[in-house]
Amino acid sequence: MNSPHLHLILNHVPTVGTAIALGLLLLSLLRRNQELTRVSLEVFYVVALITLPAYLSGVATALALEKMPDISTEAIARHHDGALSGFIFMLFTGGASWIGLWQFRRVSRYSGLNVAIVLVLAVITLTFMGGAATMGGWIRHPEILVADAPTPTGSGGFITAASVKALVSDYTWLWPSLEALHFIGLWLLFGVVLLVNLRMLGMMKAASFSALHRLLPWSVLGLGINLVSGMMWVIATPEQYMSNVSFFWKMGFLMVAGFNLLYLTTFDDPWQVEAGDEAPFRTKAVAASAILSWVFVMYFGRMLPFLGNAF
Amino acid sequence: MDFILRLQHSAVMDWVRESGSLWGYPAILFLHTIGLAAVAGINGAIDLRVLGVAPRIPLSSLTRFFPLIWAAFAVTAVSGLTLLIADAETKLASAVFYVKMLFIVLALVNLHLLRTRVFTDPAFDSRPLSTQARMLALSSLALWVAATTAGRLMAYVGPVAGLK
Repeated sequence: MNSPHLHLILNHVPTVGTAIALGLLLLSLLRRNQELTRVSLEVFYVVALITLPAYLSGVATALALEKMPDISTEAIARHHDGALSGFIFMLFTGGASWIGLWQFRRVSRYSGLNVAIVLVLAVITLTFMGGAATMGGWIRHPEILVADAPTPTGSGGFITAASVKALVSDYTWLWPSLEALHFIGLWLLFGVVLLVNLRMLGMMKAASFSALHRLLPWSVLGLGINLVSGMMWVIATPEQYMSNVSFFWKMGFLMVAGFNLLYLTTFDDPWQVEAGDEAPFRTKAVAASAILSWVFVMYFGRMLPFLGNAF
Repeated sequence: MDFILRLQHSAVMDWVRESGSLWGYPAILFLHTIGLAAVAGINGAIDLRVLGVAPRIPLSSLTRFFPLIWAAFAVTAVSGLTLLIADAETKLASAVFYVKMLFIVLALVNLHLLRTRVFTDPAFDSRPLSTQARMLALSSLALWVAATTAGRLMAYVGPVAGLK
């Protein structure tokens, strides 16, 4: 399987997944069913997570396609801009959903404000993603354009990949600044990950999980900083990353770590670990895998210039 | 100085720098990264607790993390020293390097003060933390941010080797 193949497999998740999660959320509001609200927020989070490889495999596909004859680079760029716009809102939707899930643990109900924000973000995401999906179809399937339709013009989103690329190359201080931010985000994230997961593994048993739970948003803040800085590099110099085996593994372990975070946020077994308790085996296993997957994310990040062809 | 430069051109350091093996320069760089992530990260999380982010974590339970921070610091320092010797000519000529060292020394002094001024108070779990404790936590975060930034800028500002 190569990147274009992966893109063909994953490219429906952002649109179809968001539509399903949105439907579940609306249904849960109609039925006043908190459990269903929770499920819909979990689906939003997972869809946002899968959007990452969907987007990245798309960037790799663009690099492969641009070399082929009879392919309109404008059509690719328009699709990319739409997908990038959708991806940005998808990250906000996933982040807001995560905050909702995190809050639910503390107060056992959903804040109307959070649900409203997720709802609005999801609609915007779906709009951009739907547009991106349509424009993606045009790249290889011009037959879906109705005969007398005008040739599509203009940008596909509110932001263009070309402008991000220009930003990073025009302001030479930006790349080093992003690196500093990326490393600060890295330790902010990793410190909280260590504290919470080492507790689950048996260190500092005097602290309950619910006490440590308060720290989790700080690790998500670190993750957010690193997603933004990392994405800017990928958009600016995609060729450095897309054929880089180290980047592939880094993203793979990032996905594992993302699922670990969902476990810590929504599952009952870590939540029930009180002060003095030994965590159940399943929680310990997830805690160990969380620490390990972040270590691997860092390893393959550091190996980008050495294992792969980057820089 | 001459001694360090001689070390830089020793067989071991030539291997670290130029062998192209993943066990040479890249592995040491990774150890440095994971070490700094643990040192600044755990210290940062403790700072957040002192600042009041997760007030139900008993401060007394956090004292167990101090030995872990120092162990991680040992890994960071040894790997960092190796990276320094392997590229001494460039790094010792870089002003940013000395700025980074200054911030690290200050951050470590800060950590020590946090441990001895705040974490030795037997009643620290039963009453609100002092302003001094909060100031120490804030300066700790600021110093690690500064040290990290200076560390990254070493690859861009002043003399820069071809090494990553």
